[in-house]
Amino acid sequence: MTAAPSASTLGRKRRRLARWQALRRQIPSIPLPEQGVAGRGIWVGTTPHVTGLGLLFVAGGMLAAGLVGLASDADGPALLLAGSLTAVVAIALWWPTRPGPLDHTAVFTAVGGTWVAASLMGALPYLLAGTFAIDGRTWPVVLADALFESVSGFSTTGATVFGAHNPIEAQGAGVLIYRQLTQWAGGMGIVVLVVMVLPSLRSSGLGLIDAEAPGMGVDRLAPRIKTTAARFWSLYLLLTAAVAVSLLLAGMSPFDAVAHAFTTASTGGFSTKDSSIGHWDSVAIEAVVVLAILLCGISFALHNSALRERRFGYFRNREFRTYLVLLGASATLVTGLLIQDGMGLARAIRSAVFNVVSLGTSSGFGNATDPGSPGDFAAWASGPQMLLLVLLVFGGCTGSTSGGVKVMRLRVGLGHAYRTLRSLRHPRALLPVRLGSGTIPDSMVERIAGFMVVYGLLVVGGTVVVAALGADLVSAFGGVISALSNMGPTLGEAGPTASFSDAYSAPARCVLAILMLVGRLEIFPMLLMLVAPYRRVRTATGHAIGSLAATKSRRGE
Amino acid sequence: MAAVVALGATALLATAAGLVDLLGAGDDTAALLVVGGLIGLVAGLLHARARRNDRIRDADVLVGTVASLLGFLLAVAGLLLIAGTAPFTASGVLDAITDATAAGTTTALGVLQPPVDDHGGRLLLAGAQWLGGLGALVVGVAILPFFGAGREFADRSSRVGRRPMTPDQATAVRNLLVLHGTVSLGTWVAYALAGAAPFDALLLAMATASTGGMAVGAPLDSASLQWVAVAGMLVAGTSLVVLWRLAHGRSRNLWRSDELQIYVGLVLSGTLLFLLWTDGSGAEGLRRAAFTVTSSVTTTGFPSAPGGTWAPAAPVLLLGLASIGPMVGSAGGGLQILRHRILAQAAIREMLRQLHPRSLTMVRLGGRVADEDTLSKVVVTQFLFVSTLFATACLAAIGGLDLPAALSAAVHAISTAGPVRTLDGVVVDPSSWPGWVRLSLLPAMVVGRLSVYPAFVAIGTGVGIVRDRTRIRRRWRSCRRHRT
Repeated sequence: MTAAPSASTLGRKRRRLARWQALRRQIPSIPLPEQGVAGRGIWVGTTPHVTGLGLLFVAGGMLAAGLVGLASDADGPALLLAGSLTAVVAIALWWPTRPGPLDHTAVFTAVGGTWVAASLMGALPYLLAGTFAIDGRTWPVVLADALFESVSGFSTTGATVFGAHNPIEAQGAGVLIYRQLTQWAGGMGIVVLVVMVLPSLRSSGLGLIDAEAPGMGVDRLAPRIKTTAARFWSLYLLLTAAVAVSLLLAGMSPFDAVAHAFTTASTGGFSTKDSSIGHWDSVAIEAVVVLAILLCGISFALHNSALRERRFGYFRNREFRTYLVLLGASATLVTGLLIQDGMGLARAIRSAVFNVVSLGTSSGFGNATDPGSPGDFAAWASGPQMLLLVLLVFGGCTGSTSGGVKVMRLRVGLGHAYRTLRSLRHPRALLPVRLGSGTIPDSMVERIAGFMVVYGLLVVGGTVVVAALGADLVSAFGGVISALSNMGPTLGEAGPTASFSDAYSAPARCVLAILMLVGRLEIFPMLLMLVAPYRRVRTATGHAIGSLAATKSRRGE
Repeated sequence: MAAVVALGATALLATAAGLVDLLGAGDDTAALLVVGGLIGLVAGLLHARARRNDRIRDADVLVGTVASLLGFLLAVAGLLLIAGTAPFTASGVLDAITDATAAGTTTALGVLQPPVDDHGGRLLLAGAQWLGGLGALVVGVAILPFFGAGREFADRSSRVGRRPMTPDQATAVRNLLVLHGTVSLGTWVAYALAGAAPFDALLLAMATASTGGMAVGAPLDSASLQWVAVAGMLVAGTSLVVLWRLAHGRSRNLWRSDELQIYVGLVLSGTLLFLLWTDGSGAEGLRRAAFTVTSSVTTTGFPSAPGGTWAPAAPVLLLGLASIGPMVGSAGGGLQILRHRILAQAAIREMLRQLHPRSLTMVRLGGRVADEDTLSKVVVTQFLFVSTLFATACLAAIGGLDLPAALSAAVHAISTAGPVRTLDGVVVDPSSWPGWVRLSLLPAMVVGRLSVYPAFVAIGTGVGIVRDRTRIRRRWRSCRRHRT
């Protein structure tokens, strides 16, 4: 039995309650960050704020790589200097600004701006370390090479300008690990990282993640956006760690295992060796890489539900099933064609499975030991090469780190085509586009159709431009598809054992770099980043002209 | 009805070829006339006994169109065998089917080279091209705008003082017959005046007006003939609606047509770029460039020697131009300019929707708001066009063509253009390709000639009919139910 509270205790409780109620009354008057008041900055500017914060992470990566460089070779100081300079720029952008209201224009400019800034500053380590300043190269070409490598890294494309003239293996550990880190950061997305640490974005952060993440929208893994971003990154870290350990057990050195884990989890494809995974010529390592990129080509939301809810729902997901069937059928077909071409069964299976999965998930690793070896798909007959070219377009599942059009979009595109054709036979029927048991809303179908149209127009236009800059038909076509799908090695002269600097002229490489960024952000954010400010200026000018005309008409002029 | 159309066209062609063969060796006249008469008889009987269906759906018309084309192609292949242009062997049958399809779909990827005195065989191929071009015009002007692809492609406006070309299907067919006939006749006269022998001029005119591009032994070797070909191809690639308005003296506002501007712009800019990328200069270079580029834009496909050193971009330019194609409502292939314009506008609209998701943005064509249904169908057409292209390229590559040739052959087949060139511009002879490769290109030619859409409707309908007849799904379900 408890004692009754005394009068003094009751008075204290009443006073505390009154204070609490007074505090509660004040809460609505505290302005929300979306209204552009909270935060430490003087100026309201979402784009510089988000960009600055993103660059801080990039600077962190450079400094970490610099430390690795200091421990092993002479690249360390250059990387540390690049990291410091990037940090200065980042702070100059971030500190004096605060995020304003996040409308659609701000989302696209913030995401696009972050990626452009990261790609530009990301070239700094290569320039300061003199990575591409080899004999006979003029400074514009060196600059173009550094930018290309940086964009290829952040966009997880994996195309490289290193080659026989400038081997990867001749680079220091600092530059090598920095190169791998750029892909790792780009895989899950710099802006997702920013949303994770930026306290003032609240629910508006979903728009930022949505604009950056590959696919048709982000699955909320948790009620809070910050938690969703954190879960994405923790899953990503877990996968990276698991791949690193597996590669170590399969026979790689610790440095190579960690370096390749970064680019495997991000389905990037950069390697620390000139002949990529083919350097080890090991079935175990290839098996680990194939399994890892297969897993990373699956939606992270599926991994999340498998890990957190202990629900193995992979095979209930129609996109995943299509993804597996597509890769399985392609691998079988390519194996058959390679056997028909005279390759042995075991070698054919190994080469076909590795290359189909690598290209089908937009990773771009190669298992060719040297040019012309069985793993070098550029030396295969034209049939399997053409199948690989088709696979370049597909990519992995939505919500994964892979590039390309994505399996879901292809399914919806096919469904839309089927519905349109069927409507002629049954003009009065209501024919929804279905995916599994669910119905895809018409707005989403239109968005996907629009995406495919823009993708097609970019492929055609890009091919003509790249060909005009000196590439042959297959190299231009393959290069553009590869860049837009963030693939890496492609057909023609830019095969798995070739360098993009030998296959394309410097201006063509710049065009491909732009396409890589456009492809990584799934086309619209990058294009709208350019269009949105123009439209805003035009609207403002239109309003100004309109009000001037109205004033004049009122005055009777 | 589809069978009547196919048989009627074949009977006409066989009779004409039989009579023309008298000008040459004359050894096939009897056979062709007998076969032509028999086919005509069957067509007449069918026409007399056929009953009009009370309820015709859009899909039925499109399926009928596809059936007519397929029937016609098979019949032409048979005539080529009967006329002895292709021998009665396995490879001869394959050659006949390839050439009949190439001619009937106006794709310049034929393999047969009939001797100069085989007038019947030559006219069969040229006539098949001409009828194929006419069929394409009927599909583009009188069928698709009325059954399925949207009214934006038709000229139905009858505002004050206007006389539309396609107020209804019957008038549309009559008007296009008159226009196509006039253009063909004019081109024939022009070729004859430029120095070609009358029969050669007729064959060239048929190949030009239909954008077929198979010259069938008639040489295009002089400058004057090539300039006539350039002019003829340009007219053949122009929309019949534009020609109709010109014929009626309503040329004042014609230049306001965006599609016409783009078409002329494509030809001019393409010629300039081609000159730049092939080291061309002087009158000779200009003629060569104009001939090659016009041949590509209009998807005619007359072969021309490379001339000069080709930059890597030159063949890409020609492929790009062939896949774009000429104006809608012409005999040319490709996706055609108006569809590209609709696609570009739809893409811009989708981009702006990302910025303003609740805004209502309309796509306008010629000042009028385009129907959403039409937009959707054009997008689907592009999707199917690209899918067919990739599938054909895969089959051709598996069949043994190298990658550039496979891609090039697929683009030309679906665009009903030609000829396939190597990267340095040399024309590739399709007869050197394996039979499997040639067979794999045929479906793409048919799909391309039918503006993609009707072919897939027919495939869908065919699959539906087979599925309904065999009831696979129902049997599978009952089998499973039985097991459980």
